[in-house]
Amino acid sequence: MTESTSFLRFEGVVAGYGGGDVIKGVDFDVPQGGVTCIVGPNGSGKSTLLKTVSGLVRPRLGQLWFKGTPLVGLTPREILKLGIVQVPQNHSLFREMSVQQNVELGAFLVKDKKVIAERLKHVTEIFPIVAERAKDKAGSLSGGQQRLVEFARCLMLEPELVVLDEPSMGLDPKTLRLVFDTIKLMNKVGRTVLLVEQNARQALRMSHYAVVLENGMLRLSGSGKEVLNNPEIGALYLGGSIKETSSIAAPASKEL
Amino acid sequence: MLDGVLTGSVYALMATGLTLIFGVMNIINIAQGILVILGAYLSYTLSVHFGIDLFVGLIITIPTLFVVGVVVERLFMARLKGPERTSMSILVTYAISLIIEGSLNMIYSINVVQLKAWYVDKSFPIFGVYLPYIYLFGFILAVVLLTSLYIMLYRTRFGASIRASLADQVAAALVGINVARVSTICFGLGIAVTAAGGMVYGATNAFNASTSYDLISRLLTIIVLGGMGSLGGALLAAILMVTLGDVVAVVWSPIWSSPTFFFVLVIVLSLRPQGLFGKQSARVA
Ligand SMILES: Nc1ncnc2c1ncn2[C@@H]1O[C@H](COP(=O)(O)OP(=O)(O)O)[C@@H](O)[C@H]1O
Ligand SMILES: [Mg+2]
Repeated sequence: MTESTSFLRFEGVVAGYGGGDVIKGVDFDVPQGGVTCIVGPNGSGKSTLLKTVSGLVRPRLGQLWFKGTPLVGLTPREILKLGIVQVPQNHSLFREMSVQQNVELGAFLVKDKKVIAERLKHVTEIFPIVAERAKDKAGSLSGGQQRLVEFARCLMLEPELVVLDEPSMGLDPKTLRLVFDTIKLMNKVGRTVLLVEQNARQALRMSHYAVVLENGMLRLSGSGKEVLNNPEIGALYLGGSIKETSSIAAPASKEL
Repeated sequence: MLDGVLTGSVYALMATGLTLIFGVMNIINIAQGILVILGAYLSYTLSVHFGIDLFVGLIITIPTLFVVGVVVERLFMARLKGPERTSMSILVTYAISLIIEGSLNMIYSINVVQLKAWYVDKSFPIFGVYLPYIYLFGFILAVVLLTSLYIMLYRTRFGASIRASLADQVAAALVGINVARVSTICFGLGIAVTAAGGMVYGATNAFNASTSYDLISRLLTIIVLGGMGSLGGALLAAILMVTLGDVVAVVWSPIWSSPTFFFVLVIVLSLRPQGLFGKQSARVA
């Protein structure tokens, strides 16, 4: 079924929440080492698709392969152990716990305290905020700062694949750039990144590969540049005049 | 008044179990009241038929009720899924409550009993009044158990996984916490405390199976006032409920002690619908 070369592969994935399928048969490969971006309109199933990767949603049909291992049926915990971590769309820090406790929980599956301490040190080098606000409650941080701490937390497992669901949601332009730069950095230090983005132009520009999801099905796939320059897609999803600085558009795209 | 503070700690213990179960699992355990009575009857049997001291008997009754909790969770609670989970849980735990109540009525009859021991009969002087020793011992027991619970919650890895699940189940699952297992153990713990609570309750009150209705309404009131799912809130609300009742009884009239508490409850809830320490977000799963 699977070639040894594929890193993460979606194979005829059909998934939903019990009332009709949200993902209606998706096939594509996420190559190792790159940044792969999923774009598409609100409600097209992007988050649901990511949840099938992390084990939060179990596909009704089809299979996901991670380096030859089938993922369907595995628990989020087992998938983490394989080296896939996800940062969900909604903020996921434990607000009442300190920043450091949150980041340490990222290594919940690691039992060795020494290893945890080492990784914490390493992660702090990339994310100074983890040290600066170590003792503060995570809930007291701004939205952008929380995102960075979530990134820091997800690196504690030294994952091979990092799955990010709209990491720039609700951020001001300056923080947004910082978050994007951080994603590039994570990729540069060896993490494969799979992300969903509403700030599509900016995201596609830094992506090696991209797919467009529409109504639970793939509409288009190719390199980041190809998708960015596709005239049809440009008009439909990238909105000729969407400004990346638009902080008004961000809250509007917030779900729920 | 003083016995209020002492009893309050025991209510706090029983309510902590209830709020822990709600906080982690979004389950309202209506059976908590009858489980307290079950705990009291277990202590009764051990002491009357086997001559085992009430406090020593806890070594048997606490693990027994923990196992009861784990079994009930695996058999019934783990099957409740989806957005209707909380309301379904009220029905299911009410059914469980009725089954236990019926069984207890059959086994022990409806005659009220009270647990006996020297510390139930003997009193000690304190601030000019005499109180049976059981109030003091019960208080110490509740403090010891609550402290252990808090140390477990705030100082251990497992405790961190419980607090993470309390805060956000999806986020907890995404860092590798086995939320289903945490839920089972929390349900077990939440029920295990009724063994201790039931023993002290049964030693300070005459009871039969129907006493559970008064108990569950008090316990639910405590966790609603404290904020559903808030551990600190349950502690404070329990002490508030009992002491407020006692203060009103002394300075005004015992008739007004319950109504005053419910009056305070209504005022608090109209100002803060989420209770004293509740987080609104804790309600939406
Ligand atoms: N937990 C859920 N339960 C039921 N339906 C859901 C749930 N989450 C999302 N949906 C539905 O699935 C569809 C796709 O949602 P989602 O994957 O979040 O889209 P996107 O991330 O592309 O905006 C929407 O119609 C949404 O209403
Ligand atoms: Mg989404």
